Amino acid sequence: MTTVLAVCEQRDGALRKVSSEVVTGARRIADGLGAEVEALVLASGPVGGADQLGGFGADRVLTLTADGFGTYAPEGYAAAVAGRARGGAAVVVCSASAQGKDLAPRIAAKLGTGLAADLTDVMVEGGVLMAIRPVYAGKALLKVKVTGSPAVLSLRPNVFTPVQRPKAGAASTAAAGVPAGRVTVKEIKAAEAGALDVAEAPIVISGGRGLKEPANFKILEDLAHAFGGRAAVGASRAVVDAGWRPHADQVGQTGKTVSPTLYIAIGISGAIQHLAGMRTSKVIVAINKDKDAPIFKVADYGVVGDLFEIVPVLTAAVKSHA
Amino acid sequence: MKIAVCIKRVADSETRVKVAADGKSLDDAGVKFILNPYDEFAVEEALQRKEKAGTGEVVVLALGGATSQETIRTALAMGADRGILLQTDRIPADGFVTAQAIAAELKAGGPWDLVLFGKMAIDDYNSQVGPMVAELLDLPCVTAVSHLTVEAGTATAEREIEGAVEVVQCPVPAVITTDKGINEPRYPALKGIMAAKKKPLEVKPVSLGGGAIEVVEMTPPPARKEGKIVGEGAAAVPELVKLLREEAKVL
Amino acid sequence: MKPSQYQAPLPLDRLILKAGSGGAGDSMELDVCIVGGGPAGLACAIELARLGKQDGTELNIGVLEKAEALGEHNLSGAVVNPRALRELFPDLKDSDFPFRRAVDKEAVYMLTGGRELRIPTPPTMQNHGNYIASICELVRWLGGKAEELGVNVFTGFPAASLLVEGNRVAGVRTEAAGLDREGKPTSSYSAPNDLRARVTALAEGTRGTLSQAYCKWQSVGSENPQIFALGVKEIWETKKPLEQIIHTLGWPLPTDAFGGSFCYPLEPNLVALGIVVGLDYRDSNLDIHVLLQRLKLHPLFKEYLEGGELVEWGAKTIPEGGYYALPARRSGDGVVILGDAAGFVDVPSLKGIHYALQSGMYAARAIFEALKSGEPTREKLATYDRLVNDSYIIQDMKKTRNMRLAFKDGFYVGGVKAGLMTLTGGRLFGGKIEMHSDAEAERTAASSDSPGTPGSHPGLVVSKVDAVFKSGNSTRDTIPSHLIVGKDITKEVADFYSHICPAGVYEQVDGQLRVNPPNCVDCKATDVLGPRWTPREGGSGPKYKRM
Repeated sequence: MTTVLAVCEQRDGALRKVSSEVVTGARRIADGLGAEVEALVLASGPVGGADQLGGFGADRVLTLTADGFGTYAPEGYAAAVAGRARGGAAVVVCSASAQGKDLAPRIAAKLGTGLAADLTDVMVEGGVLMAIRPVYAGKALLKVKVTGSPAVLSLRPNVFTPVQRPKAGAASTAAAGVPAGRVTVKEIKAAEAGALDVAEAPIVISGGRGLKEPANFKILEDLAHAFGGRAAVGASRAVVDAGWRPHADQVGQTGKTVSPTLYIAIGISGAIQHLAGMRTSKVIVAINKDKDAPIFKVADYGVVGDLFEIVPVLTAAVKSHA
Repeated sequence: MKIAVCIKRVADSETRVKVAADGKSLDDAGVKFILNPYDEFAVEEALQRKEKAGTGEVVVLALGGATSQETIRTALAMGADRGILLQTDRIPADGFVTAQAIAAELKAGGPWDLVLFGKMAIDDYNSQVGPMVAELLDLPCVTAVSHLTVEAGTATAEREIEGAVEVVQCPVPAVITTDKGINEPRYPALKGIMAAKKKPLEVKPVSLGGGAIEVVEMTPPPARKEGKIVGEGAAAVPELVKLLREEAKVL
Repeated sequence: MKPSQYQAPLPLDRLILKAGSGGAGDSMELDVCIVGGGPAGLACAIELARLGKQDGTELNIGVLEKAEALGEHNLSGAVVNPRALRELFPDLKDSDFPFRRAVDKEAVYMLTGGRELRIPTPPTMQNHGNYIASICELVRWLGGKAEELGVNVFTGFPAASLLVEGNRVAGVRTEAAGLDREGKPTSSYSAPNDLRARVTALAEGTRGTLSQAYCKWQSVGSENPQIFALGVKEIWETKKPLEQIIHTLGWPLPTDAFGGSFCYPLEPNLVALGIVVGLDYRDSNLDIHVLLQRLKLHPLFKEYLEGGELVEWGAKTIPEGGYYALPARRSGDGVVILGDAAGFVDVPSLKGIHYALQSGMYAARAIFEALKSGEPTREKLATYDRLVNDSYIIQDMKKTRNMRLAFKDGFYVGGVKAGLMTLTGGRLFGGKIEMHSDAEAERTAASSDSPGTPGSHPGLVVSKVDAVFKSGNSTRDTIPSHLIVGKDITKEVADFYSHICPAGVYEQVDGQLRVNPPNCVDCKATDVLGPRWTPREGGSGPKYKRM
């Protein structure tokens, strides 16, 4: 039977959440092709959570081990996956995570084929693998036909919601039989807090006059922190002009746009110059006590009420899901 | 210090995207094309390394249409020494096809002390040609590097990963793809712009195969949905989180 | 209230520098430095480069352009008379020029709030044989031609000061880049550059800062002061195709303002729509951006625009003083002034691009001869003035010399006078009509006819901030202010500024004037009536694509 390989990710010996997304995506393709899903884990030893992958539709879970596979070993991982794929896989599915963006192209190149990267949807139409990928900063979607043999894909994180789809998920372990390679991870450092630029961050949490005083931005920083290193704290012009926040944090005015995946406007009424700067964000959340505030007109999700009550609860909720 | 920098001409990020009549590509009427911003970091990195070494050559290589010469001139105006354009009338949808053409050219023109790319192009978001070229040339590679030091034949690079920074080492020569933060790209100086006109720019026509990725159609993204008030006060938070996770899929 | 009372003087100490003054980084020598990469500057560069080539003389020609890329700061209607382009490119056919389409159908309407009355097209406004074009596209095309001929086009480099030696212009100094709000260098700082040149051609466009500075410094006067109009323009993708060019008069302008609107299809479903209003209007609450928003709701336009999409927005002033407002000389020691910067615009026919191109060519010829014969002195460069004076530029402008000026007394009287002038080829009312500068015109807040904001018509009406967004302006927020505001600005004056500026640079907040310099789209309207505009970091401002 043909196989769809789902390349999972672990950090510190535990599977990362994207693994279940990758297995979910692989399962969808395998169902379309009438194939089996083999979840592939690369590690230096047993990995916590590998036995759960059956629940998302993995027929088998294979952990390939080697010295130096404890942390990401780009060359060794790529060689191991490519080696396994050469054994007859029809499709290799990775995540377009930080690791996957590095790994998937190497796998594809080793297999002498292309990579359909950063996909937001996959489908099998008449036996042919099709995929959707956003281009031009999400301003257009490409539908592509993937004809590689095997086809190599990477899935945009947080898009393929893991779906319970129980399969056997029989786990086994084998030696990868390849060296870790010349590129080695020496250290993983926690990201510096606040290092992200508002223009670059995938998540932007902005505050306005509703925060009442500069010190209260602490609660926004706490929320940003709950998102790990992915969130930056922004500010409205009113707040910057009042000297509460540095100018570098200002969102809006003059067509300076941010387009994060998630924009949370807190205590911002939504002056037009602010809206002009953030309305291309993928998802906009507004928290404001004034239900008529213009920000709610552009927000996908609004919560009306006292931000000092709402934000800490949100922070706790985000933390518990991280 | 001989450094190759692979660059791409891309539509400006401010571009209003309209689908062309073929239904598969960008309508480039009124579109401004620029040097891919991530590639600017690569050019700057190469220039700084050459300047530090006191000697060497920075060669910029692009694959694209004849208009990519302009983009190469921008890099030459920044200070690169010469340019090569692999001229083709279309940029393949399959990054591996591009990678093969670039790898062949780099192989012929090598050896290189460093091969630099931007971490991705802001048009196709492929993030793949750099590491593919590394595989094809059998060079070590670190992608999305926001800090780089090279000492005694070893490159030490920092790359951002989810919620942390990876410190990665590899021997050089190597392929490095650059991310924001690695440096502050210079603006071309007047003298640089003048000098760029006289620098060599070699145009080599290439014919490319089809590859494994074929564009079926390009469409605008679905229109923004009507927003909704989830609720009032802290009590609305669980519902908000649920919607963000399950409907918006951003958590 | 008289605007001139609140206007800061032109900062001559910054604009005129002794050559060799400290503070510059690189310095470079050119034969000819052309300030401004628009039609005038590029035509001058092209003609010069070609003359040099034909003669076997290598000329080092540089064009400085403040926009990040060519064309991004150019805005016009535009219906172009192809005459000058034909002369500039004798080997090319009209179909080789970057025009969108020939004008075949046209109509002029007198508007009232809800109706339109088609009127006969005045002879000056007949456009048969002319072409609809985007000046941005024309300029980009000209830039390519210039570069092919070896001209150095330096985009993103605004000229900030004239470098002078005695009475001679010896080049320009560019503006620094990478300063913070307080004017201190940041990590991306780059110092100003000095470009020394044997001849400097000022082709800065409308209300050119260095051109003003030169004329003031050398006391070059004109018979009448230059006056201006502000044009605000939008480009729409429409659902319904438009097949003709339209001009309108009347509504939504008050009767004491001079102006009208234009609507040109670049493509059947891509329409340029704009309104132009003389800056001598009397109602200090008049807001030209708002008038354009209101105009779009008129049935004549609404039926085309509804359901369409605004794709670009921009604004620019137009020198409207005509013949009597031309500087007494447009040449001097080491310097010439071209195109809009000199005021070569014919208001009744709404045209200036072909004059800009033509003046650039004449300047090139005069410069080339002057360079060949040694020092390009004022006497030698005066050839340029002679060429222009003997050409159709001045002939045309002379014919219509009083037409715009007639309107200073209001629309209806002006309309009758202008009609009679057309019939008599300019002879009736042939004596000079005296004009004062726009800033001298007394303003009053009209209580009854304040335009206010048009009702909410989502999709049709755009706010100023959204408009700036559509101009492509992404100037960094932290640039130092390039605008010089006068002293003792009252609430009334702050309100006036907030209405003049179509880009929301000025706001009246709690009686105080607030200035948002990054919004500026370099239209120069307040340079005429209020705060002075000065050059700022290269690449700032709008990024027009098809204006």
